[in-house]
Amino acid sequence: MTGVFGAPLKRKEDPRLLRGNGRYLADLKRHGMLAAVIVRSPHPHARIRSVDASGAREDLRTVAVLTAADLPELPPLPCIDAEETTRPFNQPVMAADKVRYVGEPVAVVVAEDRYVAEDVAELVVVDYEPLPAVADAERAMEPGAPIVHEDTNVCDTLEYKIGDPDAAFESAPHVLSERFTTQRYAGMPMETRGAIAEWDPRTETITLTSSTQVPNSVKRDVCESLKLPESRVRVLVPDVGGAFGVKIQTYPEEILLCFLARRLGRPLKWVEDRWEHMVASTHGREQFHDVEVAYDGDGRVLAIRDRCVTNTGAYLQRLTLVEPFIGVSMLTGPYDITDFEATAHVVMTNKAPMNPFRGVGHVQAAFTMERIMDTIAFELELDPADVRLRNMIAAEDLPRPRGLGNVLAGEIIYDSGDYAECLRRALALSGYEEFRAEQDEQRRRGRLLGIGIGAFVEETGLGPYEMGSVRLEPSGQVVVHTGACTSGQGHLTTLAQIAADTLAVDPADVDVRYGDTDLVRWGVGTYASRTAAIGGTAIRNAAVVVRERALQVAAALLEADPSDLELSGGRVAIVGSPGGPSVNLGEIAAAVAPGRHLPEGIDSYGVEATDVFHPPTNTFAYGVHVSKVEVDAATGIVTLLEHHVVNDSGTVINPLILDGQVQGGVALGVGGALLEEVVYDDDAQPRNPNFMDYLMPADRNVPEITVEHMAIATPHNPDGIKGGGEGGAVGAPAAIANAVADAIAPGRVTATPITPARVFAAMVEAGVIEPEAARA
Amino acid sequence: MSTHTITVTVNGVAHTQEVEARLTLADLLRERLDLTATHLGCEHGVCGACTVVVDGHAARSCTTLAVQADGAEIRTLEGVAEGEELHPVQQAFWEKHGMQCGFCTPGIVMSLVELLERDPGPSERAIAAVLGGHLCRCTGYVKIREAAEEAVRLAAQGRSRGEAS
Amino acid sequence: MKPPPFDYAAPESLDEAIGLLAGDHEAKLLAGGQSLVPLLSMRLAYPDLLVDLRRIDGLDEISESDGHLVIGAMVRQLRAETSDAVAARCPLIVQALGQVAHPQIRARGTVGGSIAHADPAGELPAVAVALDARARVRGPGGERLVPAADLYRGIFTTSLAEAEIVSAVEFPVADDGAGSACVEVARRQGDYALCGAVAQVSTVDGVVAGARLALFGVADRPLRASAAEAELRETPAGEAPGVAAANVAQEIAFGNDPEVSAGYRRQIAAVSARRAIAQALEAAA
Repeated sequence: MTGVFGAPLKRKEDPRLLRGNGRYLADLKRHGMLAAVIVRSPHPHARIRSVDASGAREDLRTVAVLTAADLPELPPLPCIDAEETTRPFNQPVMAADKVRYVGEPVAVVVAEDRYVAEDVAELVVVDYEPLPAVADAERAMEPGAPIVHEDTNVCDTLEYKIGDPDAAFESAPHVLSERFTTQRYAGMPMETRGAIAEWDPRTETITLTSSTQVPNSVKRDVCESLKLPESRVRVLVPDVGGAFGVKIQTYPEEILLCFLARRLGRPLKWVEDRWEHMVASTHGREQFHDVEVAYDGDGRVLAIRDRCVTNTGAYLQRLTLVEPFIGVSMLTGPYDITDFEATAHVVMTNKAPMNPFRGVGHVQAAFTMERIMDTIAFELELDPADVRLRNMIAAEDLPRPRGLGNVLAGEIIYDSGDYAECLRRALALSGYEEFRAEQDEQRRRGRLLGIGIGAFVEETGLGPYEMGSVRLEPSGQVVVHTGACTSGQGHLTTLAQIAADTLAVDPADVDVRYGDTDLVRWGVGTYASRTAAIGGTAIRNAAVVVRERALQVAAALLEADPSDLELSGGRVAIVGSPGGPSVNLGEIAAAVAPGRHLPEGIDSYGVEATDVFHPPTNTFAYGVHVSKVEVDAATGIVTLLEHHVVNDSGTVINPLILDGQVQGGVALGVGGALLEEVVYDDDAQPRNPNFMDYLMPADRNVPEITVEHMAIATPHNPDGIKGGGEGGAVGAPAAIANAVADAIAPGRVTATPITPARVFAAMVEAGVIEPEAARA
Repeated sequence: MSTHTITVTVNGVAHTQEVEARLTLADLLRERLDLTATHLGCEHGVCGACTVVVDGHAARSCTTLAVQADGAEIRTLEGVAEGEELHPVQQAFWEKHGMQCGFCTPGIVMSLVELLERDPGPSERAIAAVLGGHLCRCTGYVKIREAAEEAVRLAAQGRSRGEAS
Repeated sequence: MKPPPFDYAAPESLDEAIGLLAGDHEAKLLAGGQSLVPLLSMRLAYPDLLVDLRRIDGLDEISESDGHLVIGAMVRQLRAETSDAVAARCPLIVQALGQVAHPQIRARGTVGGSIAHADPAGELPAVAVALDARARVRGPGGERLVPAADLYRGIFTTSLAEAEIVSAVEFPVADDGAGSACVEVARRQGDYALCGAVAQVSTVDGVVAGARLALFGVADRPLRASAAEAELRETPAGEAPGVAAANVAQEIAFGNDPEVSAGYRRQIAAVSARRAIAQALEAAA
């Protein structure tokens, strides 16, 4: 329409941030503000005999100490994707008689600044009676294992069955069995969590400013927890330095801060430090799949059985069950597999709680399925790309219900797309055939090169709804409110592009506002790749209503028929009448402001609309990654040479921003594939809660990443957008794992992170290399 | 616990402050001088978000005590743009979409600003050595590398324009 | 993660600093702070007093004396790395420093600090040990020279007494025509190495005439691979890397630790030695 939608526009957010005018939570100061520090359990499992805050309270530097004894009965934090039976596993706002993971909050100490607050926090004496702890999920399932809550550590079990797997296995010519393991790692944004709580005695309102993705949910939880009605709590979101899912729930600290702020009558700030973040912010991914796969001589998968165990840590957080269940429900990815059964166990241990982060569940599903594909190819001496093509669901067979459902999202129906075409394009983009030739040549010289494919389908555009409103101002400005939040995704630009497209204005004239529950009453927030698809659609819908209204008003002002009008460059004019009468959007807005006579035929004020878009169901983005690697035969060190992605997130609003999202996701995938792990010892003590030992990918770890977009629209929203924030993180580990396995074949890869030591061991076991010690 | 009177020049302005010995340079900048563009991502010197220029060298402000910076000249992101005009590094990051959440960006900008002042035509290796000291979780580094190269180009253009006139 | 409270002093003489260290309190030396300040921020140490060396004259010089390159304790790593004198006289130092952390750390970190910190995975201590460097040490009892072979006693532990300070490190100037290399195995550029090797060799007519080799990250201190060095002498250059690797693989006892098995460590130690010798030979005249 106007060349704005689909354009790679520079971001509106950037100049301000580049000048140093970002305002992240830790930057904010309030008059009279105090600093809060959380006293956290050093034990993974212990009874709390007593909390003696007297030493801290007596210290003149201490403003306040809050322990469980000082709190009224507060409900535990909600887990919204669970049933009644799992309620006992929910997390209390503050540990009262037991702690269940290292880092669990036990007390809050308040002083004038953070330095002093840390000093006096050391004076709080907690008398713990350590209890046996359990770290490993399989161990936690054994009889006699330490029990984290009551009765059992298996919090929930989900069972799926479609078709007749037993029959398929009975007649299958080949069966493979393997365990594929994904490690515990975390979203790990560069900005940790944090919050400021303020009590205003005049309005009797708590204002909570929080580094969050879901202000409306946090508001709801604070209201429920502290028994306050809606108008008495306001949640604001500042600039957020990355979130990735780690900030999609209400945490204990937010509730505690609100409670204390009201009691103290002074603003309270808490900024999570990196150690705290690593032990007390949620983790993800820790899951293994014991699969049996029936297949035929052509590499067609006939059936899969999957026993999946997820280590969800000590408590259920808001959306903990998503990762265990998506891991199985999305296992079959883009493949035509209709005989499938799976059991997913949700197992509690004394590690920190788990909650979804970028790619949730799909990463493990893709890793498992894609390693299966390559393993079948290897066994049958077929090309891995051919095996995939033989198994992929054909484009003409979409939409296709899978016979399975997902928590929160309902039935899985793959809506649109062309998986095979995506794979073909990825092979072309990456120069797959040429690389195979090069690989053979280099192998003769002792260089181990490998190429790997990672195909996936991913649930995106999650409901339940999102709110968007659009209004015109007399200055000509377009103001947009959205329930979405941004933590780096460029939403302020892409959402402006949508409104600007409908209203034929410059995106620079569109002001997108978010992150204030007083402004956005029915927001849901940003996660699950939903902002463009759901938040964007709400804005699109509202903008369309605003456009129609504007044309109506303009028609009255210009004494014409709305159908004779055209809108362009922010002006409405009569078609075919250049130089004739016209009005701009600002004049239109001014014409229907209260306090003046309304134009003929217009009987209401303002030019604005609000839409709350409830998607009919979620959509399914997909993609194919191709990774090229070199493995150092002597050390097992993996170097990524190139990474290529053909990505289909549906219609693309801003390809520059979408490329950035895919590339960022790939980097996270690199971390998951090769480097990152939240390590606990056997007694559930964190072993590496710092950036020296938790290895984030750095510049040299991430190769060039080329991205191509297939933009096949989804039928589920007018613009056809699916969602692109997570795909990079989903496809990359699978492709990288396959590339390494390809390089060291017949050495096997069945677990991430693919550390040099593991690669070395696999190569030695398979006889691919001779260790120095053997040569000596 | 001792306190000390120190004078630190930040972005060309001298500040005299009384500080506890344990106050980090980062907190001096952020809490005392309200220069909050310098961010804290880890407080143990690894992530690089807190990087500023100290006496002409890019350095971590979280692993430097304020008392160690007595008499030093510090430059932070707030002092990089010249009025309305963005520095070539800033302009390049905008053009190339080299930032997403912006939390790690100030440190990277300071490292690149210092690199270009010391070496206007840095090799890919020299750029990589500098970028290696920064963690970013959002971008995947690809567009940061492109922004760095663009910054070199923009900075060279600026100089040649100056020479021509 | 804010440091606990402590006192701070920045004396103007080494003797004053020694006096402060020797006092009746827990005192720690502050050089570049790149190792110490994170420790304090994590509250892993609670010193009473920090003694900053930055105002003491004469600790930041690079000079030559008696066949040795003398680097003052407070010389910043970045300065040593980019010094023409260091590159000319002892290039192994430049090669090693290039792999220490990142330039933003090296801008503040010091040579003396690194030597005294005694990190078993550190590059500079390994260089000191390989080259038979000497630490100039000053204490209440006066000055002494400590050979690197006598300096390292364990993880973060040197043979220095309580109130002794390294004022400079003397590195033997490399022989004409010697070649050197620092090779490490690390999962990310600038990380503490899983292990590594530093080597300096000279050849005559294609045969190794002299070899120096030390490993880091393989034990609780840098390891001088003396047995390998002995075997390397008189070995043809083409065979030397293999000889070094075999010797390291066979002669050194490796232990298991939670992160790295003995078998893997043996492998990468041997590979580091092989590659360090190979690269040093390439650089040799």
